[in-house]
Parts: sequence; C-alpha cells; structure tokens
Amino acid sequence: MPDILLDMKKVMFAYNSGGQALAGVDFAVEAGAFAAIVGRNGSGKTTLTRMAMSLIKPASGTISFGGQDTAKLTPADMARSIGYVFQNPDRQIFRDTVAKEVAYGPEQLAFTPEEINQSVAWALRVTGLTELAGSFPRLLSRGQKQKVAIASAIAMRPKMLILDEPTSGQDPWDAQNLMELLTELNQQGITILLVTHDMELIAKYVDRVTVLDSGNKVFDGKPSELFNGNHTINAWGLLPPTTVALGRQLAGITADNAEELIKQVTTVINRRKEDHA
Amino acid sequence: MPKLAPLTKLILTAAVSVWALFIPTLSGLVALACGQILLLLLYRPTGKQVKAVGVLLIFAGFLAVIQCVFGSSLEFSLMSGLKMFAMSEVFVFLLATTRLQDLTAALVSQCRIPYEYAFMFTSALRFVPDFLEESKAVREAQACRGYVFRGNPLKRLMDYVAIVEPLVLRAISRSETMAMSLELRGFGRRGQRQFTSDVAIRGCDYAAMALMLVLTIFLAVVRLGVY
Repeated sequence: MPDILLDMKKVMFAYNSGGQALAGVDFAVEAGAFAAIVGRNGSGKTTLTRMAMSLIKPASGTISFGGQDTAKLTPADMARSIGYVFQNPDRQIFRDTVAKEVAYGPEQLAFTPEEINQSVAWALRVTGLTELAGSFPRLLSRGQKQKVAIASAIAMRPKMLILDEPTSGQDPWDAQNLMELLTELNQQGITILLVTHDMELIAKYVDRVTVLDSGNKVFDGKPSELFNGNHTINAWGLLPPTTVALGRQLAGITADNAEELIKQVTTVINRRKEDHA
Repeated sequence: MPKLAPLTKLILTAAVSVWALFIPTLSGLVALACGQILLLLLYRPTGKQVKAVGVLLIFAGFLAVIQCVFGSSLEFSLMSGLKMFAMSEVFVFLLATTRLQDLTAALVSQCRIPYEYAFMFTSALRFVPDFLEESKAVREAQACRGYVFRGNPLKRLMDYVAIVEPLVLRAISRSETMAMSLELRGFGRRGQRQFTSDVAIRGCDYAAMALMLVLTIFLAVVRLGVY
C-alpha cells in the first residue's frame, strides 16, 4: 500500500462572513501521486490547499504531512515539505534575475551556498529556464513566469507541489508545456496536487481526482470513473471533457482523453476501410 | 434612522473636526466621542467597521499615553487622544454609511469639485481595501517560499523588499489597467456628466445642517469666551 503523504481528517473551516468553506472533509494524497481537486467556484478547493500549507488553520480536524502533525507549523515551515505555486506569479517575483528569484526560497530555508547553487541549477534545468537565468523575470511571458514560480518552489526540494489553477490565463501551447513539465516532475518523484477547472487536463494527465461541492467531498477516484457517466457531474458544476462527450455519442468508443479518442476513432475508421475494401 | 445625503455627511465630517478643536473640556470631548459612536451604531455598522473604531480607540489611548509620558498633564493627554479619535472616527462614519459613487456624485454636482479630482479622491479610498488584500496575498506567496518576518530591524527592513516590490509593481500595473479601462469608457471626455446616484438634499438634511451650524457657532462663542 502506498504511503500517505498529506493526510487531512475531518477538516472544517468557516470564514468570518459566516459561509462554511469545508464541512468535515477527509482528504489524503499518496506519495508520488498526480492528483487534482476540482469543483465549482466557492466549493472549498483553494481553502483545502491553503490549509495543507498552514496558511489557514482548520476550525476542527487534523492535518499531517509525512506523519507529522502540522497544527503548530507556519507556512515557512511547510515550505520545506510543500511547494505552493499561486495562480498569479506576479505576486511573488521581486528579484532582478530569474536565477536570483529562484534562489530566494533556498536562501530563506538556510541551504548552504553549494546547496543553493545546485538546487537553482537543477530547478532551472528541469523547468527549461537555464538560458533565461540572467533575464529580468518581470519581462518574461506569462507561461515563463509560471515556470519561474514552479522553479522557485522546487528549488526548495519539496516532496509535494501544490498548484492553484496553474494554466489559467495561458495559451494552449504554454498550458500543455506546463502539464508536461509537471508530469516530468511527478516522474522524478514529486507528488503533484492541482487545483483546476480544466477537465481536459484532468482526463489527460491526472491519475486521481477529488471533487468538492459546497465544502463536501462528493467524489474521490480515477478520472475515468468520474467521466464514465455514472455520476451527476453537472450537478457538481463540472462538464465532461469534449473528448468524453464526443466519445459517448459514438458507438463503441469509450475514450476518456483526446489521445485515446483519436486512437480508437482511427482504429474504427481503418477497420471500416478494410471491410469496405 | 433618517438617510442623510452624502453632502450632509461631508459637512458633518468637517464640522466634527472643528468641534473637536473648539471643545475646551475633557467632558465635552468625551460627549463628542460617545455621540459619534452612538451615531455609527444607529446605522448598524459591520464587524469590520466596529473593529476600525476599536483600532482608532487604541491609537487614541496610545497617543494619550505618549503625551503623558513626555510630561503633559493627564487631562491634556486624554483630550489630545480624544480629539484625534473624534477627527478620525467621523471618517469611519462617512465611509461606512456612504457609497463611494454617491460621494463622487456629491463632490462633483454639489461641491462643484472637478470630476477628475473627486474621482481621484474616491478611487484612492476604494483602493485601500484592495491594497490590503493584495498585501496579504503577496505575504502569503512569500511565506510559502520561507519568508519570515524576524531578526533585527535592519534585516526586517531589507527582507521587506520581498513584499513591497511585488506589491508596488502590481499596484502600478493595476492602476495602468484601470486608467486604460476608464479611458475606454469615456473618462477623459469634456462636458457634463450624468450621475444616477440620488444625492438630493431633503428636509432632514437641512435640519441636520442647521443643527451643525448652531452647534458650531455656540462652540465658537464658548471658545472665544474661554480665551
């Protein structure tokens, strides 16, 4: 059985305005997983991840990371374990070169100069930013800035990376590049947790998805199970990926992502061509 | 509670400041401060507004303590604190009970202030909560990268660059976007503007203004009588 890295038990949270953001949710992420949390706006997705990072504390319930209770830890303490990438990278970029920006986290965590250099070089290499190491980060494109934010997070050598809607505002090419980068990081052993609205990404890249609705967990399983037609996903504010919706209209097609759909449709067409010939 | 026009509240803001300067006794200033709190309570303030008044009270107390420590009499120190409280609390009342677009409309159509200046004033007020929210978001983003506000004052000051720089750059970027958005919606055009806000002065406003005038004259006479 895989190790549980992040374990949240019966966590509750309510905002001062009175709205209940989370109503006793159990949520766990296994080490090495590529997981995602989805749900309509206000369903509690970001609250859950902010809680994991100790940015907010639960009103009740427990949170542990790698078996250690996080109740008394600050976000700066958690930074050693979890890298958190916010939706808007402009909120964190402040240094005059990409390399210095990426080095900020390791410096704060008191890495040795040698460790800092190694971590920065590795983070830049993995994210494909080595050639931009001396560039002024504010002048980069949105996709590149997002990569700087990811490099800044992984330079602290966390076990897990949480990304809050990382592809929002990006063009499809940048979004695909970013997801491929996350897949590569996941293959290198970093656990990934995404908060997203993009069902196409869920279908294509993620191996486990949790759905939140009005502060409650309503689904937890594989994306293929979520999109198999047995769940009322529309009621949870979700729409199936276009590929799944199209596949449902075609007899004999059961694809749950674009690549699988193309493969299955091509097979069917080729078979018919052969029959016809 | 009668709905007072924004102009009346603006005049009240100025009048309270004058009264705070004119009132020569501690009991008078206590009455002014209590009256202001009572007035705010009549308008059913939100928790945030009550908290803001609480913070002002703490600052007033702090000011009084500082004055006292540096040799002023207890009465004078308390009066200074109460004057500061009265002058600032009235702004909380103004902002808590008046929509910013109504304030802009009143400044332009009734006080005859050029629209650009009135808009600048009200949009600066509008940006305060936005700026605080943005500051919180930046602090959280940097905390997730190990930022901790600790060490000696010089180190703290140097570390604070991690918060200030993104905050200032974001504020500039947002103000540019807002300026562009306003221009695209006719902000820079000359000529008359139409406001949909109802800022008309009614009977209760005239009554409140008359009361304020009488009180101001009375306090001025008392003040002149004292010296």
